[in-house]
Amino acid sequence: MGRNEIRLRRHRMTARGIERFRNYNSVLKRHEDNKRIKKVIRVFGFFVVILIVVMIIIFLSRWEERSQAKDPVNTSEVIEK
Amino acid sequence: MSEEEIRQEESIIQKAKSNPAAFASLYEKYFDRIYYYLYRQTDDEELAGDLCSQTFVNVLNNIKKYELRGVPFSAWLYKIASNEVRKHYRKSKGKKVFSIEEVRIKELIEESDEVWDEDQINKLIDFMKDLPEDMLQVLVLRFYEERDFKEIAYILDITESGAKMRTYRALDKLRKKFKIKIKYDG
Repeated sequence: MGRNEIRLRRHRMTARGIERFRNYNSVLKRHEDNKRIKKVIRVFGFFVVILIVVMIIIFLSRWEERSQAKDPVNTSEVIEK
Repeated sequence: MSEEEIRQEESIIQKAKSNPAAFASLYEKYFDRIYYYLYRQTDDEELAGDLCSQTFVNVLNNIKKYELRGVPFSAWLYKIASNEVRKHYRKSKGKKVFSIEEVRIKELIEESDEVWDEDQINKLIDFMKDLPEDMLQVLVLRFYEERDFKEIAYILDITESGAKMRTYRALDKLRKKFKIKIKYDG
């Protein structure tokens, strides 16, 4: 058993059988589809980033509100000091 | 390839960067070569056809990134096709297949002390089965695709001296074992 499989062909390859695979329109269509998918992924990624940023902002503002409620600052005490 | 042809190709590539339909003429020009290259490494017409289409889709997907790097445009196509073959074998986990033409073997052998009969060819095939895959790849590119060492280095992502070394090592083994002289030795 060797590392590779070597197959011997008795005849030279001809261009006849290959024609059914030659189709530039299908290649072009697949390229356009890939482009569209990439665009959708990019837009989706952009919205995910925006969503994460908004969530962070909301979380930070609530955290700030909560910490202020826990420790209310008495204005008269501050003035007396 | 003449200077004029290189200039024409370059202008088509530039057009294809903004309009992929412009690439059609280069697709027609290189389709056969890339298909045969893939067929030699798969021995399966359908699979070679699929890999060939995927190669050209990848070419179009990445054409905006293409830059001239001192090798012909076709070398970039071979590089992408090589990556597709590698990806296929990684997924299928099968043994790598190399399909070679008997006529071409006889063409490559310039001089031999012995008569090249069926038995000798079978011995050569057995010998090739045990060659490391990277050596076989270099031999395929050098003798079947007739690429120069600079292009081989670019296609396989190795240095030019590395490509030369792999070829000479493989040829040396062949010469010692079969006492033959091979064309394109230099």
